Amino acid sequence: MHRVIAIFENTFKEGLRQRILSLLGIFALLLIVVSVFLEPFALGEAPKIMRDFGLAVTSLFGVLTTIIIGSALIHRDIEKRTIYTVLAKPVRRGEVVLGKFLGLGALIALLVLAMLLIHQLIIFVQEGVFEPSLLIVFPFELIEVSVILGILLLFSSFSSSTLTSIMGVIFFVTGHAMPDLKLFAESTKVEALKHVAYGFYYLLPNLSNFNFRTDLAYNIPLPADQVIFSVCYGVIYTVFLLYVTTLIFERREFK
Amino acid sequence: MCIFNAMQAVIELKDIKRSFKNHFWQKKKQVLEGISLQIREGEVFGFLGPNGAGKTTTIKIITGLIRPDSGCVSIFGMTPHSLSAKQRIGFLPESPYFYEHLTGYEFLKIHAVLSNLEKYKERTFTLLERVGLKDAMHVQLRSYSRGMLQRIGIAQAMIGSPDLLILDEPLTGLDPIGRKEIKDLILEEKSKGTTIFFSSHILPDAEAVCDRIGIVIQGRIKEIGDMSTLLKKGLQADKITLEDWFVDQVKATAEKRGTTR
Repeated sequence: MHRVIAIFENTFKEGLRQRILSLLGIFALLLIVVSVFLEPFALGEAPKIMRDFGLAVTSLFGVLTTIIIGSALIHRDIEKRTIYTVLAKPVRRGEVVLGKFLGLGALIALLVLAMLLIHQLIIFVQEGVFEPSLLIVFPFELIEVSVILGILLLFSSFSSSTLTSIMGVIFFVTGHAMPDLKLFAESTKVEALKHVAYGFYYLLPNLSNFNFRTDLAYNIPLPADQVIFSVCYGVIYTVFLLYVTTLIFERREFK
Repeated sequence: MCIFNAMQAVIELKDIKRSFKNHFWQKKKQVLEGISLQIREGEVFGFLGPNGAGKTTTIKIITGLIRPDSGCVSIFGMTPHSLSAKQRIGFLPESPYFYEHLTGYEFLKIHAVLSNLEKYKERTFTLLERVGLKDAMHVQLRSYSRGMLQRIGIAQAMIGSPDLLILDEPLTGLDPIGRKEIKDLILEEKSKGTTIFFSSHILPDAEAVCDRIGIVIQGRIKEIGDMSTLLKKGLQADKITLEDWFVDQVKATAEKRGTTR
């Protein structure tokens, strides 16, 4: 386990020292500008829209950072050959995969948490109250980021950084379009298309399972069974992705 | 099925072949055409050859970064992928790039932990002093000179007190002072009984530190033997240094195969 922690620490430090947290400034500025300009057009709904918008931007920033930093950090290790000295040590390749996953995950978790706190601060400045219930979104954001990180690690174990980033974006977009895909599968009359659509629906990660943002923004209670299902689904999917990544990474050659 | 001698060599390669193709539409290029060698305990072995001869590919096979197409590899009687074998190896890759954001101390600490060292702090400080980087231990590696990077690279290879040091072109790109420092480190390790396998195309340096050398040209071992024997061989053919003899060997092989360098 100490070897996983060493790789985790290294990945986390590398990300931090790349000034990833400067993104927070852009995030805060965006929220402030939107909140100022939103007020006259929101017809009294500004607080709710602001909550929904803040959570949506937090999620988008978190995922984009995951894709950009995730694919870059992993490939830099391989392309710059920094990974050679690590793999020559008595380290299992699965430990490298897990250490990278945890390091990047912790980095993004820190970023998302900081963004949520900035969001709270802006709500407080505008309305004089905090809305701590919105922070419930944090674990679901983390699970979504974990699944995306798993996908990035999987593709980096055998493909280029460009392809990894593209696949990250594709899986993010399709992952949130899964309910539409299911509707299509249910409604199409073409039998072959129905099978293909259901195939994709059950195989690809369904990221909409982790989206409780609107419910939270409008104070709608979260259904317990759906929450439990989402957590289990996310954890199992991530573990599966990391397992497949390790299998591929163990066979990978460094030419 | 690979069968090795009961009296295991530290490294044993038997008829290692390996080919590569850069793109799927290209024809495979044979890089190693049957490399066989044995490295004995406690010796400094120089693996010499011109650029593109197959030195780095051989080293990557020994360290488990790539697999041979055919042939057998044994490190301390184990496969290169065995964690027990890796525990006894220290490796410096060719033209290494390290984690630039880390300081010298942090970099060595990570490799100490990965080498399963419990008292890593003491060992890290000792090594930083030994490679002359104690004053720069809190400086990020991005600010290190080429010579300093090479020294911190050797320090990470030595961190686990390995029985076998594998150094890929450790002297390339260094100024005379840097080369002297690295050679001194190699000789110091040798005096402690560490087996050292290092590749180079800088022959005078190999002459200074090696007990035995193997010369690889176009993926084949052309000559292998004691340094003194090969030097004598060169002198008998009226060659003043190993370098002159080596250049002749490369030219002869290229002419024989109808290729040019």
